[in-house]
Amino acid sequence: MAKLDIPLILIGALASAALLIPALDVGLGKARNAKFSGYFTLLILAFALLILTIGGLGLVPLDSSVPNLVQNDLLGVFFSFVVILVALLVTVTSFDYMKDNPNVSIYYSLLLFTSLGMVVLSFAVDLLMIFVAWELMSLPTFILAGFKKGDKLSNEAAVKYFILGALSSGVLLYGMSIIFGLSGSTNLNVVLNSLTNISPNMIPLAGFGAVMLIAGFGLKLSIVPFHMWIPDAYEGAPTTVSALLSAATKKAGFVAAIRVFAVLFPLLRFDLSMSLAIIALATMTLGNLSALTQKSITRMLAYSSIAQGGYLLIGLVVLPTSTLGLSGLLYHSLNHALLQATAFIAAAVVRYKTSKTSISSYNGLARVMPITAFSLMIALLGLVGIPPLNGFWSKLVLFTAAADGGFAWLALGGLVNTAISLGYYGIIVKRMYMDEPAEKVSIKEPFAMAAVLLITSAIIILTGIFPGPVFEFASRASTQFLSGI
Amino acid sequence: MRRAVHTMPEALFLAVAVITIASAILALESRELVYGAVALAVSFLGVAAVFVLLDAIFLAVMQVLVYIGSIAVLIIFVVMLVRREKWVSMPAGKERILGVIASVSLLAFVGFVVLDSGLTETFISTVTPPSFFEIGRQLVTEYGLSLQILGLVLALAVIGALTMAKVEATRNK
Repeated sequence: MAKLDIPLILIGALASAALLIPALDVGLGKARNAKFSGYFTLLILAFALLILTIGGLGLVPLDSSVPNLVQNDLLGVFFSFVVILVALLVTVTSFDYMKDNPNVSIYYSLLLFTSLGMVVLSFAVDLLMIFVAWELMSLPTFILAGFKKGDKLSNEAAVKYFILGALSSGVLLYGMSIIFGLSGSTNLNVVLNSLTNISPNMIPLAGFGAVMLIAGFGLKLSIVPFHMWIPDAYEGAPTTVSALLSAATKKAGFVAAIRVFAVLFPLLRFDLSMSLAIIALATMTLGNLSALTQKSITRMLAYSSIAQGGYLLIGLVVLPTSTLGLSGLLYHSLNHALLQATAFIAAAVVRYKTSKTSISSYNGLARVMPITAFSLMIALLGLVGIPPLNGFWSKLVLFTAAADGGFAWLALGGLVNTAISLGYYGIIVKRMYMDEPAEKVSIKEPFAMAAVLLITSAIIILTGIFPGPVFEFASRASTQFLSGI
Repeated sequence: MRRAVHTMPEALFLAVAVITIASAILALESRELVYGAVALAVSFLGVAAVFVLLDAIFLAVMQVLVYIGSIAVLIIFVVMLVRREKWVSMPAGKERILGVIASVSLLAFVGFVVLDSGLTETFISTVTPPSFFEIGRQLVTEYGLSLQILGLVLALAVIGALTMAKVEATRNK
């Protein structure tokens, strides 16, 4: 029976499309390509999603032709599914949002490049490959963040993000070089084997390498104290790009962190779990408290995204002690990606139609833009974790995993944080449904955007009522990964 | 200890390290940008010398070719083409002291970790360094996929840079 080499197929499809689209500017002419490139991107991403679904359901056995660089396992399939899904939603929203930009085709090309980077990162099991994929993921997002060239905020966002992103790549590479120096290999499996027999006085050096890796990954994972760029970047960047950064790029960072730390955890004599637990608590608390005082919706969502990163980090904290942790991380990654993408897309619709991002402009939105208001409400309630929405189940799994792995105080901290977060998510819902709008003229929501919002809301509600299949997929992926190391 | 045996490479390393770090500091601190650019090139050369000391001839060659041959020369060209009034000068404030403290403490920390791990002895490797041929072969066979991804990174960097640098006829919103 034929075997499916998902990474290679996706690299081929996404890379050739990403390279073809800018070339078509010449072939088709700019105006025609502006429309065509969007649909073409959608088609390619839909194809990728189909391949990943086939692989994820286990219809065809998975196989990798370069197993030393990319491992074709369910963990990779799961995270690729998440990032491609988000990229697809962002693409459809961008049909309208990016319509007036003179470089639309380049926008879609870069979107495909960064998606490809994230996909490769999901499967990479070699430090060299992880780094190269990391760059392929990061570079397009720097440009995308500054894509509105005439907008000062967008420029500031891009420059800030670029400098810190370049720094994080450097720090990451430093950590990798130390690990490579100690183990003599870049392949994670070989690293695991050779690091188990290094002399004990080399352990601090390995620990130092691990700290460098946390710092390098941490910038993309937006964990405290590497979160400073997030609010500025998310606010300044085109809101569709913020959706991509928050919902997809962060998840891809997590999968790389999972693969690397699964190898490093058993080797370090110091308590990496405890350090990560403290970071996790600091991240969620700081994110939630800062979100309370924000005046702009994109900044608020940015801080909320930081806080959610803290919840996700619980999965890494209990990686060595509880099998539930990784399943919870995966499960919450998918749910959070959907919720955060929906919230940002709703914010993008409002910004596109009214050019406003302030929270006060959401007063009475339910009467002006009913579909957007409804989807935003669903997304925000899901982010709080109100049952029966999907966010409730994944938070439940994560907090249970924390208690199960011996970090009951972390679970308690998470619960307290959830209560705090209700404050700022709730106020938006209240403003949208209870307050009077400034102008009672209803605004027509663009068809593509409204369709995306309705579909994601439906998925959020359905996967909340029937959480079984998604959670089963997540736990299958995590079990397969944990049994492999 | 056998420390005294390898005084020559140690002395050489020390000289290279001093030159590299001093010119790196000069590159950041010099008032005249052209001097800074030249100092940066010297610093790159120092790194290449470290690679030679480590028997990594291939890396040393690449370092000279890429960093000095293209990057440093490019920086010097840019410095000479763009008028000086266009450069933004940053006033030195408290951040400067904070930066010095942060970097010195990081240096102390790294130094402590390295010394603590027992990597204090100089030794001369008896292993033949891999040939250029072998490096090239592995790059296109074993690491072929990462090489291709790297190609994509370069392609997108060109696409992105062109888009960013292009002057639009009509400003977007």
